[in-house]
Amino acid sequence: MDKLVYTAATGLKAHMAAQAAIANNMANVSTTGFRADRVVFDRVEMKGGGARFEARAPASEEITDIDRSSGAIIQTGRNLDLALNGRDDWLAVQAVDGTEAYTKRGDLSVSPAGTLQTGDGFIVMGDGGPVTVPPYDRISIVGDGSISIVPQGDASGAEQVIGKLKLVSTNGTNTSKGLDNLLRVKGGGVLPDNLDAKVTTGALEGSNVNMTQVLVDMIENQRSYEVQANLLKEAKTMDEGAASVMRMPG
Amino acid sequence: MTTAAMHIARTGLDAQDMRMRVISNNLANVATTGFKRDRAAFETLNYQTVTAAGAQSTQETKYATGLSLGTGVRVQGTARIDTQGSLNTTGNSLDLALDGDGYFQVQLPGGQLGYTRAGNFSRSAEGLMVTSEGYQVMPGITVPEGATAITIGTDGTVSATVPGQTEAQNIGQIQVASFANGAGLQNTGDNYLVETAASGAANLGVPGENGRGRVRQGMLEASNVNVVQELVDMIETQRAYEVNSKMISATDDMLKYVNQNI
Repeated sequence: MDKLVYTAATGLKAHMAAQAAIANNMANVSTTGFRADRVVFDRVEMKGGGARFEARAPASEEITDIDRSSGAIIQTGRNLDLALNGRDDWLAVQAVDGTEAYTKRGDLSVSPAGTLQTGDGFIVMGDGGPVTVPPYDRISIVGDGSISIVPQGDASGAEQVIGKLKLVSTNGTNTSKGLDNLLRVKGGGVLPDNLDAKVTTGALEGSNVNMTQVLVDMIENQRSYEVQANLLKEAKTMDEGAASVMRMPG
Repeated sequence: MTTAAMHIARTGLDAQDMRMRVISNNLANVATTGFKRDRAAFETLNYQTVTAAGAQSTQETKYATGLSLGTGVRVQGTARIDTQGSLNTTGNSLDLALDGDGYFQVQLPGGQLGYTRAGNFSRSAEGLMVTSEGYQVMPGITVPEGATAITIGTDGTVSATVPGQTEAQNIGQIQVASFANGAGLQNTGDNYLVETAASGAANLGVPGENGRGRVRQGMLEASNVNVVQELVDMIETQRAYEVNSKMISATDDMLKYVNQNI
């Protein structure tokens, strides 16, 4: 049988995986700070020996990057909710393995242990490591990311700055999203504090999944899956033709 | 047959359905005194690596990029939005509203302490200041029989004029509880919240001090549900639900196509 079937089969497999990636983007349309995954099809080139015959190129699918556009800003009025103003500005958090990673998720809260954490439970990094908040009566975060509190029982009500969020810019650095949905510098390393970054408090940045776009992607992917299926069918017909020619008459 | 796309879309349907429940609860409580709206917080499910970035592609080369596929979404929790509700004047001397942060402390049946922003109190047959359910407001305040002109100051001082006397006398002090992490309080229904390990212990104090809200007599705090916002959220949820269900039918069509044509 011709190898065309195998080429078409990799196409089917790749499109089904792409459909899963599109479904994941769609499912996360309401996840705070989510950045959509971009699916790119890559040709896997098969190079035949010395003749360098490159006729067949099975498809392999990859999520090479994320969509870096901004999500909608949603006003919440909560004093520990923040949205990062810059498109390339990210908030530094500590990943489970202890390394520094970056997120757009700004629904912060203070854990029982007093650490500042994001809505999905990652510890927020300040300019001097993980942010620890002493017992407070009132807490607020201002435009440049400074965190100030009124200490518990302080009758004067005077605010004290206890630290500053580490805000970074991914501009000019090669970064990619990891399995924990956090952004990391490719090949390891950390980004420097971006002193120009600004936050808006009392608001959250939503997911940047564009529902119309994702529907179009879905339909396009579906149709192109059908094309691959047709190729498979054609290969079958061709094979049947060849078999019938070779059939002994009588 | 692995149809990951369908199962991922299903997680989206589940999560949006749960968000709709949160929104309908908010809308249902639009007229509940002291109610604070909830917001469903979404979280991505794990990503699965198909090809790891940096893995050897050949002996000399490595994959420059990896392939990792997400597995969907879930509602990881609800966040109570503690913004101030508007204050409505009722004129009732035992209707109290908090202007600012904090909660009234109430003795729930069974000895547990509850915390509430709903200050529609009244005087029980025994003269105690109680909630509409009859739970005592803590620390206990006894309103003397026949007391007239009950006045509660912004700092929580309660005074009343007792029959036979012309001067108002101090009969108690309302205290306001604050928490290190108010968002960690657990909702038990009936407008009451209870303390958890996440919220920390209650810190009682004089209203208006150390960031605690002031007491406003003769007023009730309305719920902080903004109907317009809830309606927008509702439509957004509905649309997100629709696209996820379209994903299921599209993936089904893909499978159907292969089944019928090959």
